[in-house]
Amino acid sequence: MDVYLHLIAQGLAIGLLTGILYVLIALGLTLIYGILHIVNFAHGEIYMLGAMGVFYGYVVLKLPFAMTLVAILVLSLLLGLVVERAFFRSLRGQWLQLVVASVGLSLIIQSLAWVAFGIQEKNVPSFFTGIVSFAGVRLPMERLVAAAVGAVLVALLYLLVYRTKVGLAMRAIEEDEETARMLGINADRVAALACAIGFALAALAGAFVAPIYSLNPGMGLEVILMSFLIIIVGGLGSITGTVLAGLLIGVLQSVGGVLVGAEAAYGLVFVVMIGVLIFRPAGLLGKA
Amino acid sequence: MKRGLLGLVISALVLLPPLGEPYVLHVAIVVLIHVVYAQALYVIMRMGYLSFGHAGYIALGGYTSALLATKLGISPWIGFLAGGIVAALFAWALGTVTLKLRGIYFSLSVFAFAEVVNAVFRAFEVFGGPAGIAAVPRPALFGTQLTTHLQFYYVVLVVSLVSLFFLYRLQWTRFGCTLLALRTRATEALAESIGINAARHKTFAFVVSCFFCGVMGAVHVHYLRFVSPFVFTFFLSTDLLVYVMVGGLGSYWGPMLGTVLLTGLGEQLFAAGYYKSLVYAVVLLVVILALPGGLISPPRIFRRGGREPAVPEAAAATAARER
Amino acid sequence: MLEIRGITKQFGGLMALQDVAFMVNRGELVALVGPNGAGKSTLFNIIAGAFPPTRGQIIFNRRDVTGLSSHALARLGVARTFQQTTLFGEQTALENVLHGRHRHVPARLLAGLLATPSYREEQREVERHALGVLELLGIAAYRDAIAADLPLGIQKLLTAAIALATDPVLLLLDEPAAGLSHDEATRMMNLVASEIRQRCTVVLVEHNMRIVAGWCDRAIVLHFGQKIYDGTPDGLTRDQRVVDAYLGVAELG
Repeated sequence: MDVYLHLIAQGLAIGLLTGILYVLIALGLTLIYGILHIVNFAHGEIYMLGAMGVFYGYVVLKLPFAMTLVAILVLSLLLGLVVERAFFRSLRGQWLQLVVASVGLSLIIQSLAWVAFGIQEKNVPSFFTGIVSFAGVRLPMERLVAAAVGAVLVALLYLLVYRTKVGLAMRAIEEDEETARMLGINADRVAALACAIGFALAALAGAFVAPIYSLNPGMGLEVILMSFLIIIVGGLGSITGTVLAGLLIGVLQSVGGVLVGAEAAYGLVFVVMIGVLIFRPAGLLGKA
Repeated sequence: MKRGLLGLVISALVLLPPLGEPYVLHVAIVVLIHVVYAQALYVIMRMGYLSFGHAGYIALGGYTSALLATKLGISPWIGFLAGGIVAALFAWALGTVTLKLRGIYFSLSVFAFAEVVNAVFRAFEVFGGPAGIAAVPRPALFGTQLTTHLQFYYVVLVVSLVSLFFLYRLQWTRFGCTLLALRTRATEALAESIGINAARHKTFAFVVSCFFCGVMGAVHVHYLRFVSPFVFTFFLSTDLLVYVMVGGLGSYWGPMLGTVLLTGLGEQLFAAGYYKSLVYAVVLLVVILALPGGLISPPRIFRRGGREPAVPEAAAATAARER
Repeated sequence: MLEIRGITKQFGGLMALQDVAFMVNRGELVALVGPNGAGKSTLFNIIAGAFPPTRGQIIFNRRDVTGLSSHALARLGVARTFQQTTLFGEQTALENVLHGRHRHVPARLLAGLLATPSYREEQREVERHALGVLELLGIAAYRDAIAADLPLGIQKLLTAAIALATDPVLLLLDEPAAGLSHDEATRMMNLVASEIRQRCTVVLVEHNMRIVAGWCDRAIVLHFGQKIYDGTPDGLTRDQRVVDAYLGVAELG
């Protein structure tokens, strides 16, 4: 019984740590959705690119880890700006076309990735080694650091959205874009910024995940499904909702994996999503 | 004129194949199967619902028939029907919950469902696990197994033509016309106010759509003689989406056009493996950016973009703004 | 034929309607009147089945229909228009009205798929009826025009046509003259008072007193969710409570 409890506690802890990474990715998605009204199917691929970037920078080019991270941050911000300008802006307001365009984008990135990176799985050695023992639970340093950075980024995002002028503009646009424009807010620029930040969050999540899991160009797909589930449960457009849902699902998947096995845990998460859809269609903290 | 053209095409489909080599027949079979998938998807897209998970229902149909044939020795002819029914049942169950959602919530739920279906098939040995089910038999007619490409081609042709005829006629019935009225939240409210039970209509349309996916999925599996969780993936769902969007949402023939063009193109590029997805995606983006309504652009229907925000209060704001 | 009993509606802490009760008799043309925020739209929506009341009942043709969904109510013969001009925008005017026959003509899917002669005859009949409705409202000329392209006046007539196509027993018109010019509004109200009310009982929501006084048999005035007057339009302009509620509004004359 003791061992059982211990396993659950371990699952809980790991689940929380994984949850924060899920939250990072889902937050980027929610941000892009809130401002641009598009569910970015390419989000998973950005995550994958972040992870691959770490592989190429840190392992292949043997650059310092910190420099790789900065490079990934900058590149993902730029990519977000470019994608918003090139694809999303001209399709503003056309929901169907926007979603389909993002699917197209995700296919392009993935196909190019398969061609460029090949099917051989890649591994990135840990940058932060060691294990921390805490109340009988063993946490790898790598995950702790990743989660810590993730938590910091989430906090920074909160600050941005709720305490800055730009954040205010974002919330205004999310509420009513036309009025926001009439009040002088440059919606296009804010949209570009939102897209850039969203991409950066995904890429950084991928970068920190790189040493933990093995990498392949298809890793984006698994992650995007999880992000969608999180967003449905937490509520599209709600930051707090996404955070809660992300942590919840991370824990559910981890503890569930311990209790009933990984695939069944996956099914459990899906059942939770269906439950939320039936009883609170807008998500736990969704608007309306 | 249209009828003449149609008659010509059907005659060609019936009479020419014996002259073709197996590879051409293979392409024809693949094209026909995907045309039915795309037309089935079109039923609900016309209604304003975008599905990213149709592959899940195709898989349900395929696996059902494969299991019935390999584990219970049941004839594939029955298997086709069974596959359709199983897919329809799941569609009915899931539809009643998810069709209440609009826009992206619906799309994501169907997507999630399809992934879970594949995950379940991957996880349990009774479905063959990651390796899937092999040695799926071809159907038999009067004692002979229809093993050659030519023989199976006619099986596919018959099932496809019946399905396509049904789907075509469906669009022109009062029921089919009513589906158009349910395209957005606002028009749905209007429809309800004149006595249309929107939920029942939408569910039925979804069930019909998935039924045909299930039937064709079963046919597909008996053609491949094999099924695994990696056959009917998210990529198939998106392929279908590409076919429909490129072909155009304006008319029944749009999805067919898109499928024939792109599948033909795809088969040419097949050897290139991952390049197929790349080319599809590029074609999709080019068409979306240039002709948002697809090649057969509708007179009005999606020209203003079919604006359908998923967040409820935004929908009300849009409804207000649209007038 | 329509009885509103003690309808109360609360949205959270807000009391939108408080114990509203009145009756509408067959063949009447009744107006629900009140300044903005009085609760007329809320009451209207409750009668039309958009949402149920917190307390109270709606009796229609001696049958309790409280809380029935809008499509169920439509099947019983209650039709409505919306405050925001709502149409099947991408379809033609005729196609818009064709949808209205639903309550009377079963779907008959199998017959439709096979396009049997009886089905096709039924379709022709449906079209004839729809054209008849368009003619009744004087907009038959626009039958093949795309609804979204029509001018507002014609669109409003079309929304009425869609509702009328269901052959309703009770027609609920939400601000039928809103946004229309003086002449267009007059034309609309003339139609309502003559052709339309010959076919069904009409309840309309209006805040324009000229319209209420000019065409309606009876007016029910709401103020902050409560009924403060129920009687003829003439009496309305003289009723002290109504005058107080509308203080400052020029149309009261």
